Amino acid sequence: MLGQDFEMPAADPNRGPLRVLFIDDEARILRALKALFRDLEVYFTTEPREAPALALKHNVDVVVCDQRMPEMLGVDVLREIREQHPRAMRILLTGYSDLKAVLGSVNEGEVYRFVNKPWINADLRALVLEAGEIARESPAIGDQLSPNEQNTARSQVGVLVIEDDTTVQQRLREILQPHYQVRFASTAERALQVLEQHETGVVISETATNHGADLTLMLKALKQYHPHIATVVITERANAQTVIELINEGQVYRMLIKPVRMGSCRLSVDSALGRYWKLKQQPKAVRRYGVTPSEETVRAQTKLPNSLLSRIRSLPARLFGVGGVRI
Amino acid sequence: MTVVLVILVLILAGAAAALFWRLRQAEAAKSQLAAEHQQAEVELKQLQSSQAQVIHTTKLASLGQMVAGVAHELNTPLGFVKSNVEVVGDLLDDYRKLVKDYDVAVQLCQQPVDLMFSADKESLDKLVKHVEESRRRLFEARRAVEKSPLLNEAKELLADSRDGITQLASLVQNLKGFARVDRDGMDLMDVNEGVESALMIAAHQLRDRIQVVRKLEQQVPRVRGMPSQLNQVFLNLITNAAQAMEDEGTLTVTTRSSESGVEIAFADTGCGIPDDVLPKIFDPFFTTKAPGEGTGLGLSIVHKIVKSHGGSIKVRTTPNRGSEFTVMLPSEAARPTLH
Repeated sequence: MLGQDFEMPAADPNRGPLRVLFIDDEARILRALKALFRDLEVYFTTEPREAPALALKHNVDVVVCDQRMPEMLGVDVLREIREQHPRAMRILLTGYSDLKAVLGSVNEGEVYRFVNKPWINADLRALVLEAGEIARESPAIGDQLSPNEQNTARSQVGVLVIEDDTTVQQRLREILQPHYQVRFASTAERALQVLEQHETGVVISETATNHGADLTLMLKALKQYHPHIATVVITERANAQTVIELINEGQVYRMLIKPVRMGSCRLSVDSALGRYWKLKQQPKAVRRYGVTPSEETVRAQTKLPNSLLSRIRSLPARLFGVGGVRI
Repeated sequence: MTVVLVILVLILAGAAAALFWRLRQAEAAKSQLAAEHQQAEVELKQLQSSQAQVIHTTKLASLGQMVAGVAHELNTPLGFVKSNVEVVGDLLDDYRKLVKDYDVAVQLCQQPVDLMFSADKESLDKLVKHVEESRRRLFEARRAVEKSPLLNEAKELLADSRDGITQLASLVQNLKGFARVDRDGMDLMDVNEGVESALMIAAHQLRDRIQVVRKLEQQVPRVRGMPSQLNQVFLNLITNAAQAMEDEGTLTVTTRSSESGVEIAFADTGCGIPDDVLPKIFDPFFTTKAPGEGTGLGLSIVHKIVKSHGGSIKVRTTPNRGSEFTVMLPSEAARPTLH
């Protein structure tokens, strides 16, 4: 094969109907999806091992994959597709969500959205069409920086830790202080001050403070208006539903479970910073990490302290080409 | 003499006093005993109620597990049935459009007949053109209707949906069979059915990594018992086996008739049970799981239920090779008749 570079195939990949690959071990699910998306160019397979090659061969825009299959987990399929065919947007479709699967889908699969079976036809169609449009308009970017880039990024861009547990704060200080410009906040209020004053590329946060204040609403709002900031959530006890919401509405970049381990924490923050830096250079890619809040979240956000939401909205946009506000 | 008398009286008085004192002491002891007895009874009641509570909590925990498992099994067929039903509606709408086009073409073909009678040469030529055009359109419309895959697609989707609904119905049937909400109490029971329904409930724990081998004897004798309780036994043993196998493994479920009744065996290829743990596995609250992950009641409840059914449990285990739990239950036929 001559044209190894799949980013530049002979035919214009942005023309014609969207190309979507569906993977599920249940053939009847595939037939249902094929009928639902009969106006698109659909490919499907019950063999997860064939999926990455198919995605590449047909240069698909979107991959929709089941989680539980006898041969291979959906998360692993999506991870391979992410490596081999990064321009496809990835959606996980699942009948039952255990925490391990959900965490894997964030950390390894970097999924765009997580959809539960039984799905709602209109919603799934809208989601796949949106994802396909993004795949065509918005370039895929990596998160690996060269040593030079890394040095520049680390010296220019701050890391914000939102955590009110002093032991965890201390632990994170030990892990992060030697390498990054870390700032700590124990309240949402203080976190906003940091965001207003310093260029921040990575936010590390709990899902709630020790006093029970919910931080997920703020994380979702932050992503909604500033999708270029990478969020790493570190939490004590995650429940699958919270994580799914954080993926779908917060586009969490990585999710770690306490106690914090040095290795995984450093790796996550490094690649989160890489992601921010790459986005800064390629602002058009930001749509890949955008979110649309659910009605429930919008309703809940109206109950946030007045100033908080408007302050999040008007945070200075530090990226060229990105307005910072995308409503 | 009087001295002797006095001494005698004193001795008697002393004896009487001693006797009286001992009597009082005995009475005190008796009332203390009664109080202690009462105390013990209160404590026993408390213990019983807290045991009942713990068993109830365990039941709720396994209910949660059951719901999660069933939800997963239900969501796949629900997913495609729900989608198909909607899509079939859309397909029929599309088909209706084709039929309408066909109808228009037919109308078009009928027009020239009306025109023909009042035609001169020029308009006759026009008419021929019109006929040719309308014949072409009629032909195309008819071909579109004939060649349309819409009805076949709709039919396939409906066939899938019918399968899915049958699957959903059998899942619900299984669930009812497992919980036996309709019949609580002693009943004649087919252990194969019980094993199947427990496997279905546990399916979400097994599906990705554990291969299930069924060696179920057809026509295995029925046992008399409480189906909901025995199903609980099967589910607990299946769950334990699944947890003993960290990665992939095989669970072999065997049912067979024995001299005294029926044997139901669950063999895993898991970590096995260490020698120092083995004698304690049926003890209430004994667990090797991390705090909060197990109540330590699973096997003690299994043991209690099997014993109350007049049965017993045998365990064979080899560290790192696996364990086999065999439940032995007296069958209806083997049970001595009581009339």
